[in-house]
Amino acid sequence: MTVELTTRRVLANHLDHPKNLSEHEADFGPINRLSITIDVLRDSGITGRGGAAFPTAKKVEFLLQQRRVTRYVVVNAMEGEPAAHKDRMLLATNPHLVLDGAMVLANLLNADSVIICVAREHLKTITQVKAAIAQRGAKRLQGPSFEVQSPPGRYVAGEESALVHWLNSNETLPQYRPTRPSIQQIGRGGVLLDNAETHANIGLIARHGAEWFRSVGTATRPGTTVTSVTGNGKAVVLEVPYGTAIRSILSGAGIHYEPRALLLGGYGGTWLDGKHLDVGFDDDSLRPFGAGTGAGVIMALPPESCGVAECARIVDYMAKESARQCGPCAFGLPAMAEDLKALTSGRNASHSLSRLTSRSNVIEGRGACRHPDGVIRLVRTALNVFAEDFSHHAAGQPCQFAHSARVSYIPHQSDVKDLEWE
Amino acid sequence: MGLTSPYLWYTSRISGVISLVMLTLVIVLGILISTRVGGRRVGRFEITEMHRSISLIAMIFVAIHVVTTVIDTYVNIHWISAVVPMTSSYRRLPVAIGTVALDLMLAVWLSSQLKERIDPRAWRALHFSSYASFVAAAIHSYLVGTDERSLWGLIVLGSCVAVVLLATVWRVVGRPERAVGRTALSPLEQSKGR
Amino acid sequence: MRRNVTFRIVVDPIRCDGFGHCAELAPELVTLDEWGYPILQAEAFPQSDREIRRSAQLAVRGCPRQALTVQKIIAAQS
Repeated sequence: MTVELTTRRVLANHLDHPKNLSEHEADFGPINRLSITIDVLRDSGITGRGGAAFPTAKKVEFLLQQRRVTRYVVVNAMEGEPAAHKDRMLLATNPHLVLDGAMVLANLLNADSVIICVAREHLKTITQVKAAIAQRGAKRLQGPSFEVQSPPGRYVAGEESALVHWLNSNETLPQYRPTRPSIQQIGRGGVLLDNAETHANIGLIARHGAEWFRSVGTATRPGTTVTSVTGNGKAVVLEVPYGTAIRSILSGAGIHYEPRALLLGGYGGTWLDGKHLDVGFDDDSLRPFGAGTGAGVIMALPPESCGVAECARIVDYMAKESARQCGPCAFGLPAMAEDLKALTSGRNASHSLSRLTSRSNVIEGRGACRHPDGVIRLVRTALNVFAEDFSHHAAGQPCQFAHSARVSYIPHQSDVKDLEWE
Repeated sequence: MGLTSPYLWYTSRISGVISLVMLTLVIVLGILISTRVGGRRVGRFEITEMHRSISLIAMIFVAIHVVTTVIDTYVNIHWISAVVPMTSSYRRLPVAIGTVALDLMLAVWLSSQLKERIDPRAWRALHFSSYASFVAAAIHSYLVGTDERSLWGLIVLGSCVAVVLLATVWRVVGRPERAVGRTALSPLEQSKGR
Repeated sequence: MRRNVTFRIVVDPIRCDGFGHCAELAPELVTLDEWGYPILQAEAFPQSDREIRRSAQLAVRGCPRQALTVQKIIAAQS
């Protein structure tokens, strides 16, 4: 890992323990009187690091224009994406940076409460965040109160509307939001929700300004991205400027083979052929290839693996993670998983390939949230990148790696019942 | 002064029996809606329309039953006993159970008239009390028929209970293919040539 | 400047439970996918088309879960 490659900003000065408040202030500067203006936020051009890449300043401006008072700043550290580890790494390194960002946004919006959401299975992270909150409490600062909330760590629990709904009613169910932008609420108070990494960057922008932030990265995606890289049996977290060539990121993560392909963004992301390693890791560079950065996930597929089989595993997982609220997702995703299973084995697969395509077209855009759309994106890009493999499998000639070691990490899924019929 | 006449009493009894039969029909139609029956020869929306119309007819017969029973001075039942249980001096328990049935029916019917205005989940939960209403109506029917129990009365009651029981079991156990997601009109069904 | 008013039928996919009444009542606007859930015509229809408007209203009222709404789209046309 070379110094020129990684630009450590939010992961600066990594210690063997989460930085406590005095260590944090020694590294980054004092936290009392830390603040940010909407102009600086806008000029920084910062976009969300949770996957949607929405300009944060626009979100804040929208809330500032509302009559309804914004009372809550929610930090989304759920990290429901199995291939992602960056939010946990961030909170294990510089938790106070995340809290700084949340604090300055809360003060900007006159919100009195910051809620950090960590999946209840991530016990270590919960402890780390609570410790950081306690250290701040001892200092008795002005500003918002901090608390940790822990929903169950299902995949869709990290979806914006599902998280807010859980905070309101204890169910991790994505909500139907036909009019956007729309204001989310907890009780009667408006909510600003952002990813933990976004907050950490804002904690730094408050200290160093917009120009400093824009000094690395690209014009439309300034700053750094904390990537979660998998593919050599380990999970490596690496902070790099947006636009860094994928090849460099892979070698920085210790992956020195030529991958067959890469899965970018997460399990609802996009496949990229392994020959495009010199493309920069940012949305503008990846768009011509039909890919995107998503939640900063890079999963490398070694040459001795089967893209069809990996897709089958991932789609099966994603189908079981559906909230089962909408028919096209609840029934469509398992159907696609079945097609992929047939294609993996090569048995009874003659119609599966065309069904995958037609089903993708039918299901797209018909769910309340973007969960099924992510899966469709994954499948479509796979059909493109692994076109040859798919046609061999469909013809009943699966490759030799279809049953070999698995690359994609599939977490244990408990209590997945059969879809009840009413 | 008393208003009584055998015809009032007959009307009360007969409208009661018809109400029970109508309630049975309404429940069966409701079960057909939720199991997504139809779509080929009979439209599903037609079944829903029938469910709505027959529920109105049922409420009318229940109204006739209640009114004729209350205004008949041969039995001493005050208006209040029609909606408040255990306030009748005549056959307190049997009438009370009938009152419970009426209260539930009113709740279900009124909430359905205001369906667009109330929370869908609340409406749905309330709607299930139609089963409780049927049980109450059946027990009421059995208990009040004591002094005039006739074979045909028992046959009608028994048949209604049997039909509702069978339909409910069928709904719970499920049709051979899962009801949700399978429709007679869907291309998958059509391609199977059924 | 004239106003061009069009309508579109829209479904709340969470409320929808695949009863399929909409496809019966408004077949010009709704078809069902292989699992019985509605695929809605994306194109908006003009306000002047009375028949389609009637079908849309019937579908909205006939939905057992009240999952459908008719969305009015007003576009200024000069």
